[in-house]
Amino acid sequence: MNRHEKAKNFKQVNTSVTKIDALQLALGKDSYVADFVPNNALIVKMLWSPHAHARIKKLDVSKAEKMPGVKAVLWYGNVPRIAHCTAGQGFPEPSPYDTFMFDKKVRFVGDRVAAVAAETEEQALAALEAIKVEYELLKPVFSLDEAMAPGAPVIHDEAEAHVPIPIPYEPKKNLVAHVACEAGSFEKGLKEADFKFDQTYETPYAQHCPIEPYTSMAQLAPSGRIHITTSTQVPFHCRRIVAKTLDVPVQKIRVVKPRIGGGFGCKQEVLLDDVTAMFALRTGRACLWQFNREETFRTGRTRHPFRIRLQAGVKKDGTITAINMDCINNTGAYGGHGLTVVSCAGSKVLPLYHCENIKFDGKSYYTNLPVGGAYRGFGATQAFFAMESLMDQMAEAIGMDPMKFRQLNHIREGEGSPIFAALGEGREGTPMTVGSNALAECIVQGAEAINWKDRKDWRGKTGRYRRGIGMACLMQGSSIPDIDMGAASIKINEDGSFNLLVGATDLGTGSDTVLAQIAAEELETATDKMIVYSSDTDLTPFDVGAYASSTTYLSGEAVRKAAADAKRQILATGAEMLGLPVAEVFCEDAAVHSKKDEKKKVTYSDIANYALYQKNQYQIIGTASHITKKSPPPFAAHFAEIEVDTWTGFIKVLNYVSTIDCGTAVNPALAEGQTEGGTLNGISYALTEEYLFDKDGKMQNASFADYHIYSMRDRPPLRTILVPSYEETGPFGAKSVSEICINGAAPVFANALYNATGARLREFPLTPEKVLKAIQAVNQKK
Amino acid sequence: MKLCEFIRPASLAEARKTLRGLGPKGMVLAGGTALHFMPGKAPVTAVDITGLGLSYIKQKGDFFVIGAATPLSDIQRYRGPRWAMHEICRRISTHQIRNVSTIGGNICRVFPWADLPVVLLAMNARMVVYSGKEKEITADEYFSSQPARLFREGDLLTAVKIPVLKAQHGFGSVKATRNATAFSLVTIAALLELKDGVIKSARVAAGSGIPFPLRLKGVEAALVGKEAATTVFKEAAAAAGAAAKWVGGEGMSADYIRQLAEVSILDALERAAEFARGRAE
Amino acid sequence: MTKTNHTVNFTINGEKKTFATRPDEKLLTLLRREGYRGTKYGCGQGTCGACTVLLDGRATYACLLYSMQAEGREVRTIESVGTFDKPGEFQKELVAAGAVQCGYCIPGMVMSATALMETEEVFEDEIVKEYMDGNLCRCTGYEKIWVALRKTLDKQAAQPKPAAKKTSAKGARK
Repeated sequence: MNRHEKAKNFKQVNTSVTKIDALQLALGKDSYVADFVPNNALIVKMLWSPHAHARIKKLDVSKAEKMPGVKAVLWYGNVPRIAHCTAGQGFPEPSPYDTFMFDKKVRFVGDRVAAVAAETEEQALAALEAIKVEYELLKPVFSLDEAMAPGAPVIHDEAEAHVPIPIPYEPKKNLVAHVACEAGSFEKGLKEADFKFDQTYETPYAQHCPIEPYTSMAQLAPSGRIHITTSTQVPFHCRRIVAKTLDVPVQKIRVVKPRIGGGFGCKQEVLLDDVTAMFALRTGRACLWQFNREETFRTGRTRHPFRIRLQAGVKKDGTITAINMDCINNTGAYGGHGLTVVSCAGSKVLPLYHCENIKFDGKSYYTNLPVGGAYRGFGATQAFFAMESLMDQMAEAIGMDPMKFRQLNHIREGEGSPIFAALGEGREGTPMTVGSNALAECIVQGAEAINWKDRKDWRGKTGRYRRGIGMACLMQGSSIPDIDMGAASIKINEDGSFNLLVGATDLGTGSDTVLAQIAAEELETATDKMIVYSSDTDLTPFDVGAYASSTTYLSGEAVRKAAADAKRQILATGAEMLGLPVAEVFCEDAAVHSKKDEKKKVTYSDIANYALYQKNQYQIIGTASHITKKSPPPFAAHFAEIEVDTWTGFIKVLNYVSTIDCGTAVNPALAEGQTEGGTLNGISYALTEEYLFDKDGKMQNASFADYHIYSMRDRPPLRTILVPSYEETGPFGAKSVSEICINGAAPVFANALYNATGARLREFPLTPEKVLKAIQAVNQKK
Repeated sequence: MKLCEFIRPASLAEARKTLRGLGPKGMVLAGGTALHFMPGKAPVTAVDITGLGLSYIKQKGDFFVIGAATPLSDIQRYRGPRWAMHEICRRISTHQIRNVSTIGGNICRVFPWADLPVVLLAMNARMVVYSGKEKEITADEYFSSQPARLFREGDLLTAVKIPVLKAQHGFGSVKATRNATAFSLVTIAALLELKDGVIKSARVAAGSGIPFPLRLKGVEAALVGKEAATTVFKEAAAAAGAAAKWVGGEGMSADYIRQLAEVSILDALERAAEFARGRAE
Repeated sequence: MTKTNHTVNFTINGEKKTFATRPDEKLLTLLRREGYRGTKYGCGQGTCGACTVLLDGRATYACLLYSMQAEGREVRTIESVGTFDKPGEFQKELVAAGAVQCGYCIPGMVMSATALMETEEVFEDEIVKEYMDGNLCRCTGYEKIWVALRKTLDKQAAQPKPAAKKTSAKGARK
């Protein structure tokens, strides 16, 4: 059977099973951190720096400490000074240890100064006002050029700043990271080209805007251990980092993630938990800290702005002879994720098209601006803007249809790329051959849905409203091979139900459900027989957490293996009960059957009762861990038709088509949901989201009123098409789905704008003013 | 503003008396959404006027009369002969805000982004102010500067009167925003009076994009006596630059906002002309 | 808890109750403190809709309303809509459509949709979008929420009209 056919025969996988927690959430039941706060919890508030770059000359908390209701105040003078990084990454992290719980220096508007825990919010806020701070203002750095300039102010001049692994790090030059590689020879390849290109692209800041702001609550258990309930994507990294910063053993801490209200990467960070844990320790009380929306914008993590210089050469026959991608990202005031994001700009983009001569250089710099973190897409989003814009321009130079140009050049099944081995996430990558690839079919189906065949060169048209169609091809990855690990346990109960324990982190993505489906498929039982419990560092096995598009591909395979382990035990006990050799029985429909006599069977419930209570008693329990050996890319092709008001510069999206090859979609409805949400986020990122700063580096538009994300009234017609393939190395053929979809809109719209008007923008958001100026410039040339 | 007391007067007279007694420590509360834009901790007593029967819309002779405490969503829903208020109201903020924010709240203390002052200026509305007894103030007078000046002695806005548009009238409005519920970059409202295809009178008002809502006299002058045609509208719109001081916003320049205003004026005038020709709403 | 010095009386999910409060306390804070935690804090600024409750049948932001503005009025929260055994129609469709991802926006969506279903009789797309434009979601792109809503509304519109369902929301669209 054709392996694509395999997926159609699954019983639990490749089915839109009801999301396990959907009804509970729709009913508004207690689900999120703030729903579990004891009545007498203290409220934590933080005094944030009003300055972008300053030393704290004097800090006096004495008055605040004595104010009504105040139980504790934390500042650099009364907490351990332990250099660490806040990024939730594997250990040791590929990021500088450049952060302290509280420091004597502030490095961006929104940096920590001192914190208060008090009986009420009002009392905490009043106490903040009683904290006296004297700053010595330092010259700030607000751009890449300023950061890189010789003699630039040094943002991290502290002695302790260092990197825990041997990677380039030069804080005296504000350089956070540097990674480079070359396959073949770019110079040689360029010489072979008929057409050469050298362009620079810029991508902007953005915030993830989870509807639930950052929230963390810590309390002491009766045993004296610290229990942290937190809205996090990385419970195990959180535990490790909090242990480090509090200077207590990991054993003393338990981290639990309940339901959370979205993350998209911003909660792959330990931004609150060290403080709430320290307050719990100092006061003996439960301590709740919830960012308000303004704090989420200013202090929360952001998408790294990039400057990308892309050079390339192409021959008349469509061969891309050389690519040189030179990326610099602005990682803001602290360096977590700086290296890995810039690496992914190369590793997740450059393998997409055949080219024998590829050069990559990625650097990350500090500035005194909001801090870059993990954001869905993780560098690929930014680099695809450049790459997919350039693809259209190369096609135009050689007179080829841009779709045909991509079809000619994209990576095929069975092929590899030197980039896979050369570039990982902060280290060398893993050589890989693409095992599953339905990109060709994605392009065909997407083109059909948008009516690509009717697309023409419409640049010559006149009239106020002009239409254009654009496209982009995309890839991402699935997990970080050889570095990340996930594990699972599954045990049977007497009614044939199972407790599935996973460290894996459901952000709302539905991973609890997807993992239950995988377990059920492997165990030949129904998904609703799974009781999933996840993300509790005391009770669930380890998992790095939800990032790098790893939950389905990595954690899912751990679950499948654990289920297979349990299945072996079920078969053994079933065989024992039937008096048959194990080789003569099989599992189906939650029962163990005799292969030779169809009347002979015992149900899982029978087996569980037998094993738990009756004979040779033992707990049937399967456990497994998984490390991936490759990061098979999902593939996508995005298309859009836009209408440009050439008198105002406003862009209206008439139609958007998102195709996606995620291998087997374990749960098609949830896979579509990820694609729809990520696509819309990409659309508003391209058109309306931006960080506006004043001259002192303060973010000005820190509310949903002024930072524009879409409502139901803004959404354009969006069509999502799942195009199946089958990834042999993934659980039941699955690859990842969640990040790739955010990468398409910016280049698609830039290409469509060019198709409509001849105006080519190399930065976004595509604000009406920028679009209008570009169109006017084109018209002037005519 | 920090609310420290809530008072619910039983009558208009009592409300006024209470406000006069409180002075700067009192404030009128209808929807209360504007309070969000008044930070600080100055203690204030809220005088809740939602129980005074000021939420209504009715047609009385040549005017529609809207009670000052009428929520925007009611105005959005209302239909009457040649009624045009819903066009802008459905574009103000979000559904939940429209259910609570009132017309009075939008025009008693005018914020730069307020839309209703623009519409009311164009429509030549009249504001009814109670100071023991009621008196009417024309929109031109009312919006000549910050209307909050009129309410410092405890006086209250009780109603807004909007002339019923006649057959020869055409009204059009445009609100330019980054997305559907955002604050306005530029709001334009235009009321044309036509006779045999010629513009007999014109009232064109603008808001957002300028420091305070105002009528664009230069644009109006370029319309009166001319044919209601696109060429005329374009020329009149070009007078927008000189007619007001345009201000940049949302990271975009004052020059762009001016260009956007010119196009919005043109679009509003086209809509007004269509309205006069009897377009379906 | 913050010291209270006032009380407020209102009907909450059909029950008349008296609550201790202060003039500067927002309705959202009161509701969550009194156990109605299905109403969420998303922004505190009246922009995201996670705190949407019905006040006399109209969708409003509990984070902007002062608790005392509810005096003598009817407040309804998500706790009044559906149970595990008998979910509301829209909740059923949301679950069936796969429209609930993180779920944080969903109670607010349900309340706005409830106001729509109880106020209007005809559910044109434009009107539906206007009712829902104050509820932000970052997970779903609104696609499946829309599908579930459209299905719920079409089912309701197809039903024989009950004798004038009395709501206190005024001015149904003609």
